[in-house]
Amino acid sequence: MTPLNIVLNILSIGIPFSVSLLLASLGEMFNQRAGIFNLGCEGIMSMGAFLGFICAYYFQNTALAPYVNLLGILAAGVAGALLGLLFALVTVTFHAPQGIAGIGLQMLGIGTAGTLFRHFVGGVTGIPGLPSYPIPLLSKIPFIGPVFFNMNMLAYLAFLLVPLSHYILFKTPWGLKVRAVGTSPRSADTMAINVQRTRYQALAVGGLFAGIAGAYLSLGQAKMFADDIVAGRGFIAVALVYFGGWSPYRILGGSLLFSIAQSLQLSIQVLGINFPYEFAVMFPYVLVIVVLAFTRSAAVKGPAALGQPYDREKRI
Amino acid sequence: MKRSVCVILALCVVLGSVYAAPKSTIKIAMIVESTVDDKGWCQSMHDAIMAVQKKYGSSLVEYSYSEKMKPVDAGSAARQYVAKGYDIIIGHGAQYKNLILEMAEDFPKTTFAFGTSGEIGPKNVFTYMPESEETGYINGVIAGLVTKTNIIGLVGPVDGGDAARYNRGFILGVRSVNPKAQVQVAYTGSFGDYVKAAELAHTQIKSGADVLTGSAQQALGALRAVAEYRDKPVWWVGQDTAQLGIPESYKVIAAASYAYEAVVESLIDKRQAGILGGECIPLNFANNGFVYQFNDKVGPVLTSDVRKAAEKAKADISSGKLTIDWQSVK
Repeated sequence: MTPLNIVLNILSIGIPFSVSLLLASLGEMFNQRAGIFNLGCEGIMSMGAFLGFICAYYFQNTALAPYVNLLGILAAGVAGALLGLLFALVTVTFHAPQGIAGIGLQMLGIGTAGTLFRHFVGGVTGIPGLPSYPIPLLSKIPFIGPVFFNMNMLAYLAFLLVPLSHYILFKTPWGLKVRAVGTSPRSADTMAINVQRTRYQALAVGGLFAGIAGAYLSLGQAKMFADDIVAGRGFIAVALVYFGGWSPYRILGGSLLFSIAQSLQLSIQVLGINFPYEFAVMFPYVLVIVVLAFTRSAAVKGPAALGQPYDREKRI
Repeated sequence: MKRSVCVILALCVVLGSVYAAPKSTIKIAMIVESTVDDKGWCQSMHDAIMAVQKKYGSSLVEYSYSEKMKPVDAGSAARQYVAKGYDIIIGHGAQYKNLILEMAEDFPKTTFAFGTSGEIGPKNVFTYMPESEETGYINGVIAGLVTKTNIIGLVGPVDGGDAARYNRGFILGVRSVNPKAQVQVAYTGSFGDYVKAAELAHTQIKSGADVLTGSAQQALGALRAVAEYRDKPVWWVGQDTAQLGIPESYKVIAAASYAYEAVVESLIDKRQAGILGGECIPLNFANNGFVYQFNDKVGPVLTSDVRKAAEKAKADISSGKLTIDWQSVK
């Protein structure tokens, strides 16, 4: 294999791998921009992965067959949004500690998905999943065409969500409200912004994204479901939000960096380069920590009210 | 002819009488980290205990299990089983080692077992170790003969335990029939990350691999990746016969499985003979610890030459004519 082919292989595998992380991180970014960190992302992804899978599994031999993937993505998104609202109820309305509630949601999501899977399916089984959709003309461009324009539709959608999220967050009144309640909820309240409602909305959006991220794992990548399919990616997504400085474009950069590093370490092993595999497996995580340590700008600060419940009756 | 029949009959009698029915009721409990229907690691032991229970009847072999037990949670379950008078408690996974060793000290009259492990435990602890270099070798013979690109992919979980033995046996099997073939060995670092296993399989296929194999639950992710190359000559040799009964089986040339019945029967037999532990029970072809199946529906890729070579390797291993020095592979 030529070095160019090796690089193209690394990119063509690494870029699709970044999609689930990107979607989940974007969702988590909305949560955190509104002042809530949701460690339950992993659980929501698990439920999304299960619902994406179960729709494809149950309806693949029915009249709904052409739409099973779409159904799965919708179901995953709706369930994710509902779980986000449940999290909002616990943390925004009842003022539960966000970290503990997030861990609870994580366990709830993984446990429920696993239990439902066993009840309705039983054992591990495959589904056709999302097919690749080569974009006409663009996919024929030498070298870059097969890498960037030969993915499934959900992957294209995920990358389009980056500029869209940026626009929503920084150019729309709703985005301004989200940032306001995450920075200074009391000031936002005095400006007649309904803090609770905005936080509920942001958590629903975050849940929606995380649910779809899970569906991407079962429909777009593994094309199957298993209890531990998410395998810690929900937590990586939370870390990538910090890595990306709560900015959609930087989060995209972080997701790509992590995924391409992952693909690179697999290639290092496959090429038979004499390097202990234990270190190769660690490489993406270490790289993210190193990059984070050396590039973190002092100017990038997280939402000031991140993690703080808001009660308008309490005086600070 | 008559002589052959007599020899076969005599062998059947001998093999059939290796393990006798329990003299009294024996109570077995199993603790697993996954579920008993995971089409992999946990199910194989569960199925084996169920098969032994069916063989001797539920009045002679009582069986209970606890699923989704992390090692930190498993202690309370194990203690409950001891309190209920269970005779044999199996922690199916090397992660239960410390728990089992602690429990064994507290309850010296109960038999404990965990695996896979080649260690010799205390007097009331058995270990069990599949000598999976044997199945790996046969799969390697098939892969070495089938490959056209001379590049073969091996999707490993971690380089340890029976997976390490399988991988090294596989490499030796490939070398025995096709010294020119290159085996790309890579690890996901996880037993259950299906997505990463699929990604690794894609990486290997894009690097030219046309036959792949892998072990542990995660291997199913890699097989799913192979199945995506529906119209391309990319094949799979498996370490789990359950892979022959799933929709992706059209890519599976052959597969092996652990038949833990040998371990379960041995545990019962030894316990009833008064041996509570202190031994490692191996799983190999010689003690019927493995099942090996070809996939007749896979098509022309499974030629008679390939089948004969694999069958010869299996016969040589079973008879002891071929020993696999898996530790010689770094």
